[in-house]
Amino acid sequence: MIINDIKANKLVSAATCIFMAVTAMLLGLSILLYASLADSIDSLMTEAKTPDFLQMHTGELDEDDVNSFSQQREDIEAMQICTFLNLQNSQISIGNESFENNMQDNGLSCQSSLFDYLVDADNKVIYPSEGEVYVPVCYRKEYGIKSGDVMRIGKEELIVAGFLRDSQMNSMMASSKRFLISEPDYERLRQLGSEEYLIEFRLKDGSDINAFATAYKDAGLPDNGPTITYPLIRMMNALSDGMMILVILLVSVVVLLISMLCIRYIILTQLEKDKTGIGMLKAVGISRRDIRKLYMSKYLILSVVGCMTGVIAAIITAKPVGAQMRELYGNAGNTGLIYALMILGALAAEGMILLSVSRLLHRTDRISAADALYGRGSFGKKKNLWLPAMIITATAMFMILVPQNMKSTIEAPEFVTYMGIGESHIRIDVRQTGNVRKIAGEVTEDIGHDNRVRDYVLMETGSYRTILQNGSSYDLMIENGDHSRFPVRYTEGRYPENDREIALSVLNAEEMGVKLGDEIIVCKEMKDGTAEEISCSVCGIYSDITNGGKTAKACMKDPDDATPVMWSIIYLSLADEDLTREWTNEYQDRYSSFESGVKVTLIADYLKGTYGQTIRNISKAAAVSSVMACFVLFIVMLLLIRLVVWRERNDSSLKKALGFTSSDIRMEYLKKTVTYILPGIVLGVFAGIVPGQSLAALLLRSMGAYSFRFIIDPLTVFAAAPAMIAVSAVLAAILSLTEVKRIHAWECLRAGALK
Amino acid sequence: MKELLTVKHLGKADILKDINFEIKEGEMVAVMGPSGSGKSTLLYNVSGMDDPDTGEVMLGDTVITGMNEDEKAELRLKRMGFVFQQMNVLENLNIIDNIVLPSLHADRKRKKEYCERAMELMEGFHIGDLAERKVSEVSGGQLQRACICRSMISEPEIIFADEPTGALNQTAATEVIESFLKINRDGTTILMVTHDSRIASMCERILYILDGEIRGELKLGKKEQNDNREREQKTVRWLAEMGW
Repeated sequence: MIINDIKANKLVSAATCIFMAVTAMLLGLSILLYASLADSIDSLMTEAKTPDFLQMHTGELDEDDVNSFSQQREDIEAMQICTFLNLQNSQISIGNESFENNMQDNGLSCQSSLFDYLVDADNKVIYPSEGEVYVPVCYRKEYGIKSGDVMRIGKEELIVAGFLRDSQMNSMMASSKRFLISEPDYERLRQLGSEEYLIEFRLKDGSDINAFATAYKDAGLPDNGPTITYPLIRMMNALSDGMMILVILLVSVVVLLISMLCIRYIILTQLEKDKTGIGMLKAVGISRRDIRKLYMSKYLILSVVGCMTGVIAAIITAKPVGAQMRELYGNAGNTGLIYALMILGALAAEGMILLSVSRLLHRTDRISAADALYGRGSFGKKKNLWLPAMIITATAMFMILVPQNMKSTIEAPEFVTYMGIGESHIRIDVRQTGNVRKIAGEVTEDIGHDNRVRDYVLMETGSYRTILQNGSSYDLMIENGDHSRFPVRYTEGRYPENDREIALSVLNAEEMGVKLGDEIIVCKEMKDGTAEEISCSVCGIYSDITNGGKTAKACMKDPDDATPVMWSIIYLSLADEDLTREWTNEYQDRYSSFESGVKVTLIADYLKGTYGQTIRNISKAAAVSSVMACFVLFIVMLLLIRLVVWRERNDSSLKKALGFTSSDIRMEYLKKTVTYILPGIVLGVFAGIVPGQSLAALLLRSMGAYSFRFIIDPLTVFAAAPAMIAVSAVLAAILSLTEVKRIHAWECLRAGALK
Repeated sequence: MKELLTVKHLGKADILKDINFEIKEGEMVAVMGPSGSGKSTLLYNVSGMDDPDTGEVMLGDTVITGMNEDEKAELRLKRMGFVFQQMNVLENLNIIDNIVLPSLHADRKRKKEYCERAMELMEGFHIGDLAERKVSEVSGGQLQRACICRSMISEPEIIFADEPTGALNQTAATEVIESFLKINRDGTTILMVTHDSRIASMCERILYILDGEIRGELKLGKKEQNDNREREQKTVRWLAEMGW
């Protein structure tokens, strides 16, 4: 009986099954990807023994100080100092590909002795032979590198023996990349670059990393470079793929809601259609519970088929969607548990749908056998089916626009201002050199003579001890310079205008517990060896991702301030924007003669280098989401309009009897479709921009971008996306309306009774 | 008078067998027969709502059989009117909008003219004050008279009525048949399927159909004042002879 019913209502049964399958697939896929990512990252970080605390340092290093500190503390499990040989990107090439335009700090490392291992595709520790190099796996696809290729560093050559996973620098959001070579090769190549130290600690279980970090600073140990902790590494690893998973999860929740709504309409329509049948069943004495069970079994069968199809589809889709993830972090170890979780997710989705079905079926109790037999009474208020069509159009629009807007925002040049970087054309970094101040001064002077440069500003970053109002002290990386020239986006307040003002990054402000207007005492090391304390008021708070999001901006210009400059950045814009690449290349060549440490970068390239991976993932998610939205809308409209046509069959038959042609009736429906989808599109565009922005802001907050606003691509938002939605809806309508031809003029005379 | 509707050798599956009849301009003809005799099927087939398997139907000089759906729709729109037993109307429209629906569909530009004509017709059938009412706010008899107005709005050559009083009480049925007589007196041809011998006796002719065949015909002539009783008796006797 159930099978016959499914056969008799092929379209409706198929649509119900498709909704159930798509919901199960999306929810299953999000769980599968999320669990795989979390598990792979954990496996990688466990196998590679990622450090809990890492201090990068450039310059002199007294190992004894670090050793004695580590011996004194009981929370340290192991300590090691690794070296990283920073290379000029222009020196590096692999195969025929040059690394000249690469944005990362690329360098050579040897395998660590105790922990922080560089591992292969099976997460096994790699020990390269002499003459061999292992390349970070993230470059494999980007540069089309394969084993056996030759890597050239200046005139030196190494053979690519394979690819490595670096548990702390795998993500493109980490700014450095380590190439693994043997110790003899490292010694031989040492003179090609500048050496940096990675002072790494593994802490005992349950140790407080923050307390350890403060103790490290307080001990006055080497800290000329960023500090990185285990949670930060984990977050960076998770972010680029995590964003995509979040988008898929968002889509799956939307699809679940749409499915529940549509299945509700399908059932209500079906019940109306079966009214006399239900009356008959009631009349012959079948209990209300048994009638519900009869319907429930049908939906249970459809749900089982849908769930199985969904799970299979999720497993198939996970392969291409999670390819990058697997390459970077490896296969998840605990596949049994992950698949169990995925199936559980799919079952949960089906469970929610079946629960709503079960509640709806209680409506069969509402009418008596007599009423049902005579076609009287109703299972619920006859709903306007066009309204859900409008809402679903808006939802589909929203599904397309949010990821698209996120993509266009991250791709937009002004996005850097959310990231703590001024909106300029070019930045010149002066780092890892003995005398940053002197070299930066020379470069600035050089630029000052170049009349192609429209504007430039020099920023010098140093580590200053600060004292808060409650007496606690805090080390701040303060970037000194004129912040009015290429301002970043301030979440609150504005840039510092005088030496008594300071702006803090959101993370710093949160961690220090200060707000706008609070006073902070900044300690300067003076040339005469004394320390001077000045009180600065917090004038602005901005979002930042550079240096782990913990920075500060000020404009303290004191010639007697002897606080060492850790690095300098010169931001500049040219009068003619078209010349930027040429100018960048020219200055790159010019400064390649400096011993090291001067890097000229196009901001656009910097952005691409840092966020390329994220943009690619979001693009992928945006494409999946757009296809999904159009597909869901198509199916829903197909179904809804079919239901409308079915419900208004008598009216259409009457119209035919009165002389309307099938085309006239179809045209009326098409006009109505357009009348309802247009406001749906407008609503969707609005939702995709306004509430969508808040939603995206929540996601981007995790990337360090605060007070986020969409930077939209008008062509996509106002033309392409609405066109996609309109075409999907109208195509579905045209297809559904073929049914009108099958309505006969005489039907209204036979079945009649509209009143 | 000229023939308006000509039906020759009409056949449809086992329901209608070799049906032949003609209706002249200005005539009012009833088709009677027991349930399942094929009355409604006959109506669908002669009005172009369904396609017969064999035979030919002509409205004036126009051959309906063989026309495509769109051509038949246009014919129904412009040259035919329909009144149904169940008073099929669109519930989301008010009374006057239901009346002008077919004519507006034919020519939207003449909306004002059609509304005026609809009001005229409604006044003629004593339902002028119901124009703006919802379908659910009027009685069955009033609604059926509104349906007759709808059938008249495009000034059709012929009106097909399928059990027009079938769902009405005695008083409402009398009001409706009075309305039919009025439009027939004004020159409109009517072909009506009915179960009610009293209603049928008001027509000029009655065709009796049984098992898909026309078994007999009663000619009563034009209705005149105060001849109801005589016509009814004659009809009942004839029906009894036919085995009714």
